[in-house]
Formats: sequence, C-alpha cells, structure tokens
Amino acid sequence: MNYRSLAFRLAVWYALLLSATFALVGIGMFYGLEQYLRSNLGDSLRRRSVQVERILAQAPAGISDSAIAEAIDTRVAPEFNSRFVRVTRAPATLVYRAGEPADRSFVAATVPAYSGAWPSKALVRPTADATGQLMISITPLVAPSGRYLVELGIALGPIEAVQHRLLSLLGLLLPVLVVCAAGGGYLLVQWALRPVERMSQTARQISVQDLDARLPVVATGDALQRLSISLNHMLTRLRDSVQISRRFLADASHELRTPLTVIKGELQELVAHEVGRSDVRERIGSVLEEVARLEHLVSGLLVLSRLDAGDAQREWIDVNLGELAASTVEQMRLVAEDRGVQLQSTALSPVTVRGDRGRLKQVIVNLLDNAIKFTPRGGVVGLRTEPQGEYVLLEVSDSGIGIPADAVPHVFDRFYRVDAARSREDGGAGLGLSIVRSICSAHGAEIEVQSAPGSGSHFRVKFPHAGGVTIALPPRVQ
Amino acid sequence: MRLLIVEDDRKLAEFLARGLRAERFAVDIADDGLEGQRHLDANPYDLLILDLMLPQLSGGELLRRVRRNHSTLPVLVLTARDATEDKVRQFEAGADDYLTKPFDFAELVVRVKALLRRAPVERTDVLRVADLELNRLTQQVRRGSQRIDLTAKEYAVLEYLMSSAGRVFSRTMILEHVWDQSFEGVTNIVDVYVRYLRRKIDDPFPVALIHTVRGVGYCIREADPIHDPGRE
Repeated sequence: MNYRSLAFRLAVWYALLLSATFALVGIGMFYGLEQYLRSNLGDSLRRRSVQVERILAQAPAGISDSAIAEAIDTRVAPEFNSRFVRVTRAPATLVYRAGEPADRSFVAATVPAYSGAWPSKALVRPTADATGQLMISITPLVAPSGRYLVELGIALGPIEAVQHRLLSLLGLLLPVLVVCAAGGGYLLVQWALRPVERMSQTARQISVQDLDARLPVVATGDALQRLSISLNHMLTRLRDSVQISRRFLADASHELRTPLTVIKGELQELVAHEVGRSDVRERIGSVLEEVARLEHLVSGLLVLSRLDAGDAQREWIDVNLGELAASTVEQMRLVAEDRGVQLQSTALSPVTVRGDRGRLKQVIVNLLDNAIKFTPRGGVVGLRTEPQGEYVLLEVSDSGIGIPADAVPHVFDRFYRVDAARSREDGGAGLGLSIVRSICSAHGAEIEVQSAPGSGSHFRVKFPHAGGVTIALPPRVQ
Repeated sequence: MRLLIVEDDRKLAEFLARGLRAERFAVDIADDGLEGQRHLDANPYDLLILDLMLPQLSGGELLRRVRRNHSTLPVLVLTARDATEDKVRQFEAGADDYLTKPFDFAELVVRVKALLRRAPVERTDVLRVADLELNRLTQQVRRGSQRIDLTAKEYAVLEYLMSSAGRVFSRTMILEHVWDQSFEGVTNIVDVYVRYLRRKIDDPFPVALIHTVRGVGYCIREADPIHDPGRE
C-alpha cells in the first residue's frame, strides 16, 4: 500500500469526514429520541393522572379511603399497567399506594415519599427508587372529600433500554459503513485515475525518436481531457524545438564544410610546396592538425544529425556480424599492438543481424578504439559475438582503467569526456560513443555499459536476430 | 584543357582555380547556376566541377541540363552532403565522380586527372623511388639488393604512396584508399602502418624515403629538399 498515493489519502479523508458526520447524526438521534420518549411518557402519565383525579373529584365528602383505593384499583389498575400511583390527603395521610408492578420495572415500596412544600400546580419530576429511575407526575387537587396530592409514576428503564439498543446498533453499524465507504472511495479514485495511468504509460513510451506519438485524449470534458490536450500540445512544441535543434545541428555542420575546405586547402598548399621558413611551416602544420580535428568533429556531427533524422541505414541487408567483427579486429590488431594492448576476438557461432554493414562496422571500430585508448600497456581488449536467447550479443571488454560510477550514465552523451585531459590528447571529440548509441538504436539494438575504476569496462550491444525479431524500421534505400 | 568551376563560394572557387591553373589547366569560374549555364553555352569545356548547392539554378538542375546538351562532358560534383543516397542520385543524374567537402586538394587533382584520362600518370608494373623498387605483378618490394617482406596493408600503403612519388598524401586519402571510412577520425591506423613501413624500408638504410609533412600527411620521395612536389 502506497500511503502517499492520492487514492489512499482521499480514502482516508473520505473516511474521516464520514465518521464525523455519522457521529454527529448518532448523537443527534440519541438525544432526540430520548427527548421524544420522555415527552411521550409525560403525556401518558398525565392522562392516567387525570383518571385518578376524576375518581377523587367525583367521590362524595366523607368517602372512606378503602372505597377510593378500590375505585382506583378497578378503573386504573396500576399494577397491571406497571404504573406507580400514590394518593396523599393533606396534610400527610397516605390514602392509596399501588402494589408492585406486573413487569417489576420498579419497587413501589421504595419510591420515596414526596417531600417539600405542597405544590400549587402540577409538575413532573424524576425520582429514584431502589432499582432505578422513575418519572413522577405530581398533581395537587381539591375534592369534596379534602385536598389530595396525586402522584403517578413510570419507570424510565424501557427508555434506557431503547437508548442502549440504539447505541449498540450505531456502534456496530458505524465502523462497517466507514470501512465500506473508505474502500469504495479508494476504488473509485483509482478508477477515476485510470485514464491518467494510461496517459502516463503512453508518455513513458515516447522517446526523442518518436515525438510524433500522442497521448490518448480522454473525452471527459473536464480537467482530465484538458490535461491530455495540454500534454499533447506540449509534445508538439517539444517536437518542433527538437526539430529546430536538429535542423540547426545539420545546417551548422553542413555550412562549416566549405570554409574548412578552403582553410585546409590553402594551408596544405603552403606546407606541401614548402613555401616560406621551416618554423612557419611547423606552425602551419600545427594549425592543420587542429583543422583535421575540426573536420572530424564536423563530420561526426553530420553523422549524428543524419542518424537523428532517421537516416541511419544506407542499406538494409543481412550482415554476418561475427565475420564483420573478426575482420575489423584483424584490421585494428596492429593499432592495438602498437599501444601494447592484446586484441582477442571470440565468435562462438555465426550470428547474423539485419542492418547497414558500414554503420555496424562503425560501431565495432568505435568501441574497439575506445577500449584500446583506455587500456594501459600490457592489457587485453576482447570482442565477443554470440547468439543469446532472442538477441545477438556483441561485447567489447577491456582490462583498462574503467569508468567512475558517476560518469557511467553519461558516457554516451555528446561531447562527454570522463576526464577532459585524458582523451583530448588522443584527438577524440567525445562523439564516438554517441555515434555508437545512435547507430545501435537505429538498428533496434540496446547498448549498456558496466564498469568500475580499475576493473575495466564491458560494453554490450544486444541486436535483434536477423529474421527473428522484426523491428519497426523500414529499409531506407530501395 | 579547359575547366569550368561552378561554385557559389568565391574563395573556394578561387582557391581551386589557382591550384588547377598551377597544374596547367585553363580555369573559368561561375558563381551561380545560370552563369554556369551561360559559360557552358559559350565555351567548349573539357570538364565541369560543380557544387550542388547553388543560387539561381541548383547544381542538380544544371547537371540535368548538361546531360541533355553536352552528353560527354565529364562532371565532378562537389557537395557537403555525403550520404550514399545523394551519391546514387547524382550518378543517376549523370555525375561522373563525387567529392565530399572538406576534401584534400590533392584528391581533387587525382580525380580531375582520372576523369580527363590523363592519370594515373604511371601505370607501369614497376614503381621506383631512388633505390626502392615495387613490382606490381609479383607484389615484391626491394631496396637496393635487399628484399623486403611487407604485409598486405603495408604493401597497399606503399604502393599508393609510390603511385605518385613526391606528392603529399593526406591521412584521409590513404585511409579511404587502403581501408574504408569507418576508421576516419577514430584511430591513428595510418600513422601506425606508416611507422611499421618505415621500420622495414627506411630504418635499415642510410637515406629515409618516407617523409612526414606535418598537418598534411605523408609523401615518398628521393631526398630533401624536393623540387616542386605538386607539379610533375
């Protein structure tokens, strides 16, 4: 579970809000119900009290207390109805007290006597007996037979039971509801975010090579649709600016070529024809060496801009990579030996890839050249080709100085130098490996490097099998 | 022999014209395609050197017109593009040869002479420079009385240098002649091979024949100083 995800946080907020709402509703219901039940109970007390009052009012003066008691027992039946009834004549004669109620909701004998001044009007007040709370309605009355105080009560136990039931119901239902709501909210948010997930998947697949691809536009008419449209507009602008920068690279390297021809030609004439003093010729020669570097740089940039433009394949044929590697190794053997580096080539079985032979050779030459340059005297540079699963592997390993970890991700960047001083003396422009990477990606191949300082470097290129995995690149030359 | 250079870069055109005049050609210059067309209509030329990127009338269009009106005129195309696609298209349009900028002037001269069927100057079976002798039939190399064993690539480099003794060959020219473009700008393969060659044909002898011209390349010649190396 990702606790920072939008879906999780929304679900938590949702659950919190819902719990608070439920709690408020629960509290409201609890007290509202109590109020309602109590006022209902009060009304029913009053009705019963009126019955008792009527009996007293109709009783003639001098009626015996037992006759009154009998009339109340017959007409009101307090025991049967679980009511408490007590009638007191002023000043303090107990005329009648009901027996124990049928449902034993209170104990009549323990209900305390009314204490305090003789009330002037009816009132309702709670009291407590030995077992619990009671609600008592107290009514003063003047009848022909005297002044009476009628007390009529009922146990509050049933109300409390209802309240307890409500509480336990709420306590059980609330967590279940909150969990359901939170889970549902989580799923809903995920569902709502699914178009975003689709967009991000597509966006991940868009590389500099295919900036013409666009994200799916979700037709929701809301922020999501606007987001996908905005992102697509951004992609268009990105593509335009990449095209401008590629165009610039191509134009710049192109435009530099004519002046370079003139500079080189004029200076070469001076040197080759031995015009002027020899120290001047030495200096011109030094300038010419820089011109040569500039020339290589310009042609490297032009190669890259052509590869950028998808112009990698001059031909698209089956190339025997093992044979090409072996012959290239033979051609470079002397260069390696000259630097005291041993060159080994291993081809386990014939491997064929589809592509442009010249470009593929460029990959091998650049990788070998790079390996030889950074391998000290007495070291070994190995080249291996072999089929590996669905790939054809080309590996160039060296026992050289290796690449520091922070530089590894950048070795294929244009103009990147691991150590500026080290490669400049070899005349490298920092384009060799980026050309390699561009050619590889044009051939649908992946390139990776493993290296650590002191333990040499391994460059691995995985080409798709010729005829096996077909890659989505059409042949460029008919 | 009269040549026409159609090239919009004035400096390059003049530089080429000066060099070619030194090689005893008559050279005219046209700045754009239309002017080139006028020159072609007015004068009989033996060779056309044509830049592809031209104002007014593009080089490609001029090339097609040339093929319509002057079917046998050899055309050497200069361009800053170097993809083979372009090359194929130009040859289809009737270019006889093709040079990519920046090129070596020496290379241009070799191509021009080849197109005019004046080169190679020596297509002899035995090449000689001082006491060094290379037999193209037996592929044997001797210096004085001593036989020298060379590897195939060493032989190819030496033969190329000796094919025009006294001329300075750039590394690019040697590379493209003996190897291929894959090595360009990457390795010092030419220097390594020349060094090995020197070990075999110069070091054991009192007089060195292979000379380094700094910033340009290598040349094989009898002794220092040479007389006018560019002009045979």
